[in-house]
Amino acid sequence: MEFGPIARALIRNKVRFGLIVLQIAITLAVVVNAINMILAQRALMLRPSGFDDANLLWVNTRPFADAFGERGYRIAADEADLRELRSIPGVQAVTNTYFLPWQGGGSSGSVKVAGGDGNPHQVQQYSASPGLLQTLGVKVVEGRDFRDTDIDDSPDSKTATVMISRATERLLFGNGSAVGRQLLDGTAVDSIVGVFDPFYNPYPFPIDEYVIVYAGHSSYGGADFLVRTQPGAMHSVAAQIPKALVGINDGRNVEVKTIEAVKDGYFTEARIIIGGMTAVIVLLLLVTGLGIVGVTSFAVTERTRHIGTRRALGATRPAIVRYFLVENWMTTTFAAILGVVLAYALNYLLVTTTEAVKLDWRLVAAGVVLLWVQSVLATLAPAFRAASVPPVIATRAV
Amino acid sequence: MLAYNLRIAARSLRRNPVLTAVIIGGIALGICISTTFTTIRHMFTRDPLPGKSARIVYVRLDNWDKDQAYPKSAGGGNAYDVPPQITYKDASALVRSTIPVHQFLSYISGLVVFPDRSVSRPYTDRIRFTQSDFFLMFDVPFRYGHPWDRRADAAGEQVAVIDDATNQKLFGGGNSVGKTVRIKDRSFTVVGVLAPWRPFIRVYDLINNWSAAPEGIYLPFAVGTRMEARPSGETDVPRWAPPFGQDFAAALRSELDYVQLWAELRSPADRAAYQRFIDDYVRQQKALGRFPRPVNDPVLSLRELLTDMNVMRPSVTAMAVISILFLVICSLNLTGLVLGKFLARVPEVSVRRALGASRADVFLQHILECELVGIAGGAIGMILSSGIVRFIGKLITDTTVISLDLEMIASAVFLSLVAGFVAGLYPAWRICNTQPAVQLKI
Repeated sequence: MEFGPIARALIRNKVRFGLIVLQIAITLAVVVNAINMILAQRALMLRPSGFDDANLLWVNTRPFADAFGERGYRIAADEADLRELRSIPGVQAVTNTYFLPWQGGGSSGSVKVAGGDGNPHQVQQYSASPGLLQTLGVKVVEGRDFRDTDIDDSPDSKTATVMISRATERLLFGNGSAVGRQLLDGTAVDSIVGVFDPFYNPYPFPIDEYVIVYAGHSSYGGADFLVRTQPGAMHSVAAQIPKALVGINDGRNVEVKTIEAVKDGYFTEARIIIGGMTAVIVLLLLVTGLGIVGVTSFAVTERTRHIGTRRALGATRPAIVRYFLVENWMTTTFAAILGVVLAYALNYLLVTTTEAVKLDWRLVAAGVVLLWVQSVLATLAPAFRAASVPPVIATRAV
Repeated sequence: MLAYNLRIAARSLRRNPVLTAVIIGGIALGICISTTFTTIRHMFTRDPLPGKSARIVYVRLDNWDKDQAYPKSAGGGNAYDVPPQITYKDASALVRSTIPVHQFLSYISGLVVFPDRSVSRPYTDRIRFTQSDFFLMFDVPFRYGHPWDRRADAAGEQVAVIDDATNQKLFGGGNSVGKTVRIKDRSFTVVGVLAPWRPFIRVYDLINNWSAAPEGIYLPFAVGTRMEARPSGETDVPRWAPPFGQDFAAALRSELDYVQLWAELRSPADRAAYQRFIDDYVRQQKALGRFPRPVNDPVLSLRELLTDMNVMRPSVTAMAVISILFLVICSLNLTGLVLGKFLARVPEVSVRRALGASRADVFLQHILECELVGIAGGAIGMILSSGIVRFIGKLITDTTVISLDLEMIASAVFLSLVAGFVAGLYPAWRICNTQPAVQLKI
């Protein structure tokens, strides 16, 4: 192979060589880091909540009738709504709770273990009627689920019945069992009757997996429900709910949303990053590819006479194609080395100034291969054009 | 001479339309991508209230538990570990300060609005209870009427300011000043109707979803307390606080954090005095057995608060950096293509040089050609970008509130000129340095 002459030819054309090297190197750095950002966002989006998100509906009732000012009336209305929702064909399970998965927040507070080390722990806190676990589609892994008799709606109550997630149990009790233990939440003593798993709800504080659920109604200022439907029945159920609930009590307005829609809203930013960075990657490869085609074509035009001379001296067409491919391969390899350095430098900058995650070396390797392939493809057309230069050119004056 | 060079440059561009289109397209892509992402970043970093943001300050007090600080948020926000809002009693005491020139308390509450029965069913709306200075401090635009005055705040008058959409919904539009609307169990007289208004960041309430639209109805803070309108936004209660159950009056006396206090100082120099005033207040309250933690009551300016609340996600900066690198690559690409194009023209340039054109002339002609390409590409890129930016703005806030402002247009024009110049510098220098004698010899 003619490595020596090709290398010397490259060195004689420093600017052209340098332009391509820089362009490919920066492209590699940007593409690898953009893919890295996309992968980080996708990892967040693909993390399961552990719930049957695809079949969940959120139902919100906002009362305007004066009668709702009284607690007894609200609780009766709440119970009637639960019965009405359960009677709709296609509904699998219903719970009255103000927990709304994937809204990017919720409510939280801190609790201590009764008789424990006295350290407070921040956890998510929600109340829910029995039926929460069937509705979310999570399982009791220890103890038992809520019963109707656990519900205590008295605002002045000093005790409460609660369930916690498995992660919360580990946080508070290490490897010990939580069932039968008690927590202090500032206003009441909470008795743990059950532990369930899994639970994941992204929160502004790092408490995504920690939750305490209180047995109770939540109806003040309007009640919220989660409804789990049979697969395929979601849209027909969603359409029936407002009419059904207003039908039994028209002193309020009713709103229904799918949990998938709530989740979409939560991941808006992630989708912008993924869309934007995908566009950048595609366009960048296109631009760099066109750039390589352009510069190589120029090189071919410039060397038409040299090619003709080589052909006249016996070089075959494949030899000419090989010449340009090898030249390109050397350029790309050099660029890849520089590009890997630049990719890590850019990643370091992004990690220190933003929330970016570190590069995986396999991603960098994949990026190098991608650019190699792209660069070879971009060189093919000009190289074949070079090979078609007739030897007679060498004998002609320009 | 400039006009002559421009004419030659334009003719040269027309001679090879495909190559010209490729070059312009490359620059257009570069400008489009970089302008789009820097504009999105700019929407977060630009001054939300020019001339005022350094003087508008937000007050937070650390009334949290002795053994546990208020948690930081996931992205490292809330560097000061303080609850984002303050209690009713602290807010009422602090708002009596004479240091600020303007100040107000506010919170949001979900209440039932009763439109005329012929118009629509009653509905629940998010209502802001606030004070008259709010409208002034945050440049809220009025179409009809005006804000209520401080006297109305003090007297707790039942007056309302409604936004354009609510005015359409309740009264079918028009000047509705003087009309009344029933909210919960009271009747309010409309004193002002807002012009359509949609800031990208709802800067006056960064705690309850900064990207949401402003509220539809504004009522005096004092009335909210009197009608027992409960806060429907974020609330926080430290664990050490005595419980207050469902009793509203007890909640007002308790440690329930739900009120936001904004103050406008005469000059940034007054901040030290204001901070001292707040510190003194906290020390005084500590003597009464409140505020179990060390004194921690950061008074931040609006811009500092935007940073501390982590309003701009770091990924926005990351995307802006990447988009600028994209433009750099487009520019390098342009250099390669232009170099090839110019060198193919060496014989022609040699003739020009032999006929008396100076090096400077040749250089100028070729740089101008690149600048023409840069401007054309920049213009196309900007048009594309304004469309994309509107689309992304819609994703973020549900409305088309982001657009290229003058600053961003200026920056795009500047970037395209720089890209054209940088890309053309070497090729133009190369071609003006060719020796005519060598080229003309055969």
